[in-house]
Amino acid sequence: MAMEDNLIKNLIKKPITLRFPYERAQSVERMRGKVTWKIEKCIGCTLCAKTCPSEAIELIGEGRNAEITYHVGRCLFCGECVDICPTKTIETTKEFELAFTQPKDMILEFRRTKRDRESSSEE
Amino acid sequence: MVPEEITAILQVFLFPGFSFLFSLAFFVEWLDRKLVAKFQNRYGPLHVGPKGILQPFADFIKLLSKEDITPAMADRVPFIAMPLLMLTLAMTPLFCIPINGCSALVSFEGDLIVVMFIMTLIALLLFAGAWVSTNRFSTVGGIRAGLQMFGYEIPLNIVMIGPAIGAGSLSISEIIKWQSQGRWFIITQPLGFAILTICLLAHLQVVPFDIPEAETEIVSGWLVEFSGKKLALIRLARNFKLILAASLMTSLYMGGTSGLWQPNPLTYFIKLVVCVFILSNLRALFARFRIDQFLAGVWRYLTPLALLQISIVEVLAW
Amino acid sequence: MKTIKIPFGPQHPALEEPINFIFEVEEERVVNVKPRLGYIHRGIEKLAENRTYHQNVYLIERICGICSFAHTTCYTQAVEELLGIDIPERAKFIRTITAEMERVQNHYLWLGLTAKETGFETLFMYAWRDRETILEVLEMISGKRVNYGMNTIGGVRRDILETMTEQIEDKLSHLEDRAQYYKKICTKEQTILKRTVGVGILRPRDALSLCAVGPTLRASGIPRDVRADDPYAAYDEVPFKVVTYKRCDVASRILVRIDEILESINIIRYALENMPKGPIQVKVPQRVPKGEAVSQVEAPRGENIHYLKSDGSDKPVRLKVRAPTLANLPPLCKMLIDVNIADIPVVIAGIDPCIACAERVMLVDTKTKKRRIWSGDKLWRYSCEWYRKK
Repeated sequence: MAMEDNLIKNLIKKPITLRFPYERAQSVERMRGKVTWKIEKCIGCTLCAKTCPSEAIELIGEGRNAEITYHVGRCLFCGECVDICPTKTIETTKEFELAFTQPKDMILEFRRTKRDRESSSEE
Repeated sequence: MVPEEITAILQVFLFPGFSFLFSLAFFVEWLDRKLVAKFQNRYGPLHVGPKGILQPFADFIKLLSKEDITPAMADRVPFIAMPLLMLTLAMTPLFCIPINGCSALVSFEGDLIVVMFIMTLIALLLFAGAWVSTNRFSTVGGIRAGLQMFGYEIPLNIVMIGPAIGAGSLSISEIIKWQSQGRWFIITQPLGFAILTICLLAHLQVVPFDIPEAETEIVSGWLVEFSGKKLALIRLARNFKLILAASLMTSLYMGGTSGLWQPNPLTYFIKLVVCVFILSNLRALFARFRIDQFLAGVWRYLTPLALLQISIVEVLAW
Repeated sequence: MKTIKIPFGPQHPALEEPINFIFEVEEERVVNVKPRLGYIHRGIEKLAENRTYHQNVYLIERICGICSFAHTTCYTQAVEELLGIDIPERAKFIRTITAEMERVQNHYLWLGLTAKETGFETLFMYAWRDRETILEVLEMISGKRVNYGMNTIGGVRRDILETMTEQIEDKLSHLEDRAQYYKKICTKEQTILKRTVGVGILRPRDALSLCAVGPTLRASGIPRDVRADDPYAAYDEVPFKVVTYKRCDVASRILVRIDEILESINIIRYALENMPKGPIQVKVPQRVPKGEAVSQVEAPRGENIHYLKSDGSDKPVRLKVRAPTLANLPPLCKMLIDVNIADIPVVIAGIDPCIACAERVMLVDTKTKKRRIWSGDKLWRYSCEWYRKK
């Protein structure tokens, strides 16, 4: 009989469950979701690919022409690549609803535009 | 004038007969689940129908469509017949409870005894169903069901006879008629009402007495081998047992259909909801007992108190 | 009398993780019990040999979802001992705070699970609802609710800011009130007392000779705690009490854990007030000098030991993990003798089993039903043979 007071109180209170997807929890500032690249800033130092614990980042090309292939399915969302990038190319987003229907959708590619490639090869 | 036979057939099939009882079964399950969820600070059924009221019906349809497996070592005929028998036996006593007006569809002198007898048969049927399943877990569950019946049968029958002695008749309809002119038995025999609630919890196999069916210990106990259509029928039978339990509580102790106005189904319905509320509250409040603790507790406390209550009733009836 | 054999697991509603027990039961009393592990072995110790020390932190974190911070603390302490460096003071305090928060979170989860085993669903729902509060605090500090990624070799990765301290204090008071309420329930509610008092007795002599660890040992009256006996992180600067109870049954294990929640909240408050300022990380070299190191921490479930052997390169040679649940399994088998079938899940839940931490491989010959264990050399030779044949 000891919990009866709590039971009666809960009859009046609103339930604590959030009705996803109509109600969502508030996201906090430091939340780590998917990462994304601003590919124009990348200098191709390969530090992110070397430090990733699960080999989710692949570099194609080298130096200022480097382009990124990112395997979302392997990513741990640990944030190591964000911390180690010297030019702050990589950023964390708050996206966590990452269900895909096809396996090939899980591979995201960050490619440079043609103008970017031409200007970098001129240097 | 509509001939009597047509009225009788309509009464049996529509109201307060089969259709009404089936929908009441689904409604009572929804009410129970929603109340327990509210006590636990969550929602309960929510999406199917307005406020989830069609959820039990959806569960029933889903179970009917699932694969139905009979174990190779089980006795086929008793195994298949047991859910059907249980559903029939659970629904039959409901015809003796007055829902529309002061007398039930089937009422004769002694129908209270018939109701008590059918409730005992259901408990025996559980044991039989567990035995023919030939599974270790269901054997343990069936043994526990049999032992539990040894415990609660006697106090349950004693406190059901109490109102009969007070009203001077063994028919549920007569008891209700007596209460509509006299006082409700819950005021004159409160101890009997409390013991009836506890014994009905044991009969329904609901926490704190869901020992034969303990989910975390023996994986659903006696009903572990039933699947598909058989499980759907067993769950429906369980809902009918809940209606029967709440109806007995209202009819024997709280006046049934009688109240401030003429006997009508709305009063019965409101009292049914109150009794389901009491049962759900007790369900959310306790942990589960062990079988030896249950038997010791019942024989040490409930049976003497029931005998005390019935002696007080006898003395007052002199 | 004839006995029947009841299999318990690997799939069972009472178990969170797959483990198999075979009980010999004689009319509702258990006569004998044989455990069998190996259903969730993932080969983490072998995987650790192919990754660098830095990448291994994330692998070690995922040995167990609930005590993940304890595993990484243990591992990074072992690597820091091999490197011979000392981490900054502020990092030590942040490690202490996060470890205690993880302890609070683990004990709330355990309380809910034990209530569910006894059939008390309402307490299960309430305990897990209150656990959300501490998970929100952890998310505010680290960004994730499980597998926080706070530890790294050389310190911690995220700092606790001044602005966070107020919100943390609010939530800590709420948690403290709820813990006091649950303590009142667990000492007054008759149905819980009937199921847990006198069940699963482990005498102090058996507890010491069978090497029990953690709250299981402390509920038998023996005050052994790695935080007090061999202080690591900031535990030598924070005052706290080692909680023991003397009744040796499941009820005292419940009370030990609830009291530990209250102690942890006090530790967090003290550490937040007295945290020194400074850096939170030092830079470490990639290669680790040759040597061996053993480190122990007090995980929420007991004493966690990691052994690390290195040979001068940037990948470890051998990593061995001895999780607390593995040490608690022999006392569990002793506790389960002479117990009702109805009490089996309650006793198993009483030691807080985390089978994922405790996996070992055992080979069972199905024809003769005999078991064998292979040494590391034999396993290595077998794997080379298998790959050569492929």
